[in-house]
Amino acid sequence: MAHTCRHCNATFETKIKFCTSCGKPFEQPKVDTRAQSLNVIIVFYVIFLLYTVVTHLLFTEYPTSLGVEIIIESVFAALVIGFSILDYKSVLKLYQLPKVDWKILVFTFVFPVFTAFTVSIAVEYINDFLFEVENGNYLEDYLYLDYPLLWAFLFIAITPPIFEELAFRGFLFNRLQKVTSEKITIVATAFIFALVHFSFISLIWIFPFGLILGYIRSKYNTLWYGIIIHFIHNFIVLMIDYYSYNAALFEV
Amino acid sequence: MENDTIIEINEPACFFCKTPMKSEDVFCPECGFPENGTDKEKAQFHARNAMERNKHMDADKKIRSARNVLYVMAGIVLVFGFIAFFIDQDMGVLITNAILGIIYLVLGSWTSKKPMMAILLGLLLYLTTIIISAIFDPSTIIRGIIFKVFIIAYLAKGVYSASSIKK
Repeated sequence: MAHTCRHCNATFETKIKFCTSCGKPFEQPKVDTRAQSLNVIIVFYVIFLLYTVVTHLLFTEYPTSLGVEIIIESVFAALVIGFSILDYKSVLKLYQLPKVDWKILVFTFVFPVFTAFTVSIAVEYINDFLFEVENGNYLEDYLYLDYPLLWAFLFIAITPPIFEELAFRGFLFNRLQKVTSEKITIVATAFIFALVHFSFISLIWIFPFGLILGYIRSKYNTLWYGIIIHFIHNFIVLMIDYYSYNAALFEV
Repeated sequence: MENDTIIEINEPACFFCKTPMKSEDVFCPECGFPENGTDKEKAQFHARNAMERNKHMDADKKIRSARNVLYVMAGIVLVFGFIAFFIDQDMGVLITNAILGIIYLVLGSWTSKKPMMAILLGLLLYLTTIIISAIFDPSTIIRGIIFKVFIIAYLAKGVYSASSIKK
């Protein structure tokens, strides 16, 4: 393949760093695009932080309003989709159906079962012994509604996997890939994914969880496995909460 | 055939980076040095090169400051964790701060290998801690605001400086 200098149109057979007839560098320096990608990543994160603050204020003000809950979830979805539209081509590719092989399938269904139980038990232990607080129960936030399990299922098991995977393993992953290597991208997305869960203790398990989701995303180039793993994990954690809530009711 | 080999042996090399180059090439394909150019072009090359080196030194300095900021944060967070533990016997704060401190330490030492990513993650982590404390107690956002602005500025400068050099 012939390489043409952008400055003097001289052509060369082999790839070189500098044009030998005008001395200009051959490749466009990557600096500008790197700074641009950094800007997008930082802006994305800061907007996300502001969103969290607003969410928190709204939830304290209106703890029992389905309307507020739906608005908050929709704003998150809109933000994530909005950012993804910035480079929708590379994001859309991630929704193509992946090659299926039995190893990843087994992993997709077994791994979240393991993580859900481990995390549930660990969280209960930590809250009991370290913070001496009542263990938070996902279901309790929705008890004011007629069908708490249904709404909890929607807002805990369905929407977060879809939009968090798109945000972190989709948009953010693609952006970071442009400024750094694949390995570092996996580590960085896992770290940011853990940070946005807003608890430094839970970094201990969300970070490795994010590493594995990132690795699968990088190896299979699809979001589907991540969404399924994330869904099963959240679903089982919710069901454990549902079970322990009912068990507590009977004890009383 | 013989002629060709002789020409190859006598092929001129770039004065600056010693890469072999063709005799008809004016500029070195590897470093852009005007081997067969005018003296003025050579002088310009050296000037550009010096500027590039300067930029690198400047960026390295900013990366070093950002690294120090990360280490200072690690120290502060750890010390506060211990104080909270000894005054209130607060195990939760101790563990949280210990995790936070260790992350800052790891990021700080990572700046020597991957400065841009390490400082970027440090910056995001710092912003997150500000927001988390503000959620618990809104007055913390104003406390030490100058200090906070300085830390953010140093980290941000570090990120962009690191992104401007190759590493």
